[in-house]
Amino acid sequence: MFSDFDWDVILRSLPYLFFDGMRFTLMLTALATAGGIVIGTLLALMRLSSFAPFSIVAGGYVNLMRSMPLVLVIFWIYFLVPYIGQWVTGASRPIQVGALVTCLVTFTIFEAAYFCEIMRAGIQSIPRGQTEAAKAIGMTYWQTMGDVILPQAFRNMIPVLLTQTIVLFQDTSLVYVISVTDFLGAASKIAQRDGRLVEMYLFAAVVYFIVSLGASIMVRRLQRRVAIVR
Amino acid sequence: MKYNWNWGIFFEISPDGVHTYLGSLMFGMVWTLATALSAWIIALAVGSVIGVLRTAPNPWLARFANGYVELFRNIPLLVQMFLWYFVLPEVVPSSIGTWLKQLPNASFYTTVFCLGLYTAARVAEQLRAGILSLRSGQRMAGLAMGLTLPQTYRYVLLPMAYRIILPPLTSEFLNIIKNSAVALTIGLMELTAAARSMQEFSFQVFEAFTGATIIYIVINIIVVNGMRILEKRLSVPGYISLGKPAAAH
Amino acid sequence: MIEIDNVSKWYLDFQVLKGCSTNVAKGEVVIVCGPSGSGKSTLIKCVNGLEPFQKGNITVDGISVGDVKTNLPKLRARVGMVFQHFELFPHMSVLQNLTIGQIKVLGRDEEESRVRAFKLLDRVGLHEFADKFPGNLSGGQQQRVAIARALAMDPIAMLFDEPTSALDPEMINEVLDVMVALAKDGMTMMVVTHEMGFARSVANRVIFMDRGEIVEDAKKDDFFGKPRSERAQLFLSKILHH
Repeated sequence: MFSDFDWDVILRSLPYLFFDGMRFTLMLTALATAGGIVIGTLLALMRLSSFAPFSIVAGGYVNLMRSMPLVLVIFWIYFLVPYIGQWVTGASRPIQVGALVTCLVTFTIFEAAYFCEIMRAGIQSIPRGQTEAAKAIGMTYWQTMGDVILPQAFRNMIPVLLTQTIVLFQDTSLVYVISVTDFLGAASKIAQRDGRLVEMYLFAAVVYFIVSLGASIMVRRLQRRVAIVR
Repeated sequence: MKYNWNWGIFFEISPDGVHTYLGSLMFGMVWTLATALSAWIIALAVGSVIGVLRTAPNPWLARFANGYVELFRNIPLLVQMFLWYFVLPEVVPSSIGTWLKQLPNASFYTTVFCLGLYTAARVAEQLRAGILSLRSGQRMAGLAMGLTLPQTYRYVLLPMAYRIILPPLTSEFLNIIKNSAVALTIGLMELTAAARSMQEFSFQVFEAFTGATIIYIVINIIVVNGMRILEKRLSVPGYISLGKPAAAH
Repeated sequence: MIEIDNVSKWYLDFQVLKGCSTNVAKGEVVIVCGPSGSGKSTLIKCVNGLEPFQKGNITVDGISVGDVKTNLPKLRARVGMVFQHFELFPHMSVLQNLTIGQIKVLGRDEEESRVRAFKLLDRVGLHEFADKFPGNLSGGQQQRVAIARALAMDPIAMLFDEPTSALDPEMINEVLDVMVALAKDGMTMMVVTHEMGFARSVANRVIFMDRGEIVEDAKKDDFFGKPRSERAQLFLSKILHH
């Protein structure tokens, strides 16, 4: 039971856990969120386009990503990226790709599908009159979207986007399946090496819990403020 | 891109010596569905209780229910899986721990419980939103008629709340199917794990993953359409349900 | 029948009811009126315990509403209530709306409650709507069903919380007609409403509330003849000018 807990193992491995593990986790979360929002917004514009091929392609992509488990997508990309690299660079055999790139590609294209749905809802929540007003003063499609619709949609959706980022933060733990040293990966490696599964997994749970809960409390506060301003 | 495609691989015998690779993917699918359905029962039952408690007048019960939701929503599913599978048997009295470790199909039971309790938090969140979306007059009308509070929930509030949250419940059910893939980390041979093992033995990476992907898509389409039919049958004149399936997963 | 004695109620530190006292005798029709936010809806919801109150006492047929030992569901089953927004149960047919309380609360069997339900649907002129759902009915029809639903429980008194204020103007009379008939049958009624025509034709007494207080509690003729308080006079002059 708890009496033979080795709390010291946590203390000893703190630098490794945070400087190697957590740094990777946070970097992946931040970059994938940024990439996911950009691609997701473009996908949303395609989905809402009146040009049928655009909306069909974007819709198909989103539905494909949303029917697959993230773990399976991670495997797909893990094996696919070397071949794509080979194809792009014209190398004679599949090229080696670093863990960060693999994870980044995976999470960006996977989360883009979810960010797309959020941005689509955001764009649709802006009254039609806004588009008409922008067009009426002679703005082009990109001006209308870039200067009028998207800034409003983005602002309205900030709390939802942040909540999705917290989900993404938790999801990054799944890179465990390709043995990447993110925070959980680091904890797991120490756990296996020292035979201290109980301590390390409990500690990992506590850290994830504190970070996620803290972030979601801040999002809720922000939401209240945004709600009052509007 | 130089890759030796071999779609015939599905009909070759897998390392178990009996079934084809296609057969082993099908076994994986059955495990995925069995896990998801069992976990869904737990998720609905526990999630309903927690969701109702969150709207109940007793502040202590509401606080307990809120705590449950926060706890299960803010720890990654994979970490929860490890806690149930690796940590729990070590921190309970050793006789129970040994029993847990020797349980046949331990990874299946662990996954069902873990996924069930995890998804329950999300079901609870949806149900609470559904109940709160009803006008407070509905509760009053039930009470004014002499129904007790539990009866008011049973006959007045919950039948409407469940109808309203049917679309988000559909996406939660789809999530539970997808999330069951996380169980490959504790050795459950569900669909993704089956594809992974097919890839490892046959070296036909993309055929294996394509096979699994198609099966997931088909399951998805069947569930979405099934729920659409259910939604139509349960629809109430003058009411539409809360939008389309929600984004999060 | 209904005794309200010195009732006060607070939302946090905001006082919504200030020492309200009045009573409704058996067979009496009492109108409660007053500007919005005056506490009249809150007061009527205190009568069947839908809103808790912190001070004072309310008894219905001799049973104390605020007493923790009182079986509130049992008491509420004997007092009918009609809401501003009807509050029919949208997932049940009109008939089921009328039978659910009879079956689950009064323990009547299905057949008995159906017979009773159809009798009341006849009374409000909606017999042929029994199998429709509330969403298929107009506002006026929904409110008549809601009245029938309350009557199906054979109440000893009826509470009406602004029963016509959510209705389109052309539907108000069909509901008031049902209420007038009910009053003439001798039902004990407490009605929050601004329909002064209705008050004139059936009320015994009129209560005027403002800022959580009962400002005026007078016989109908005295109230419409010459209200004593300025606030009531002002209110009446505003409302009667429409």
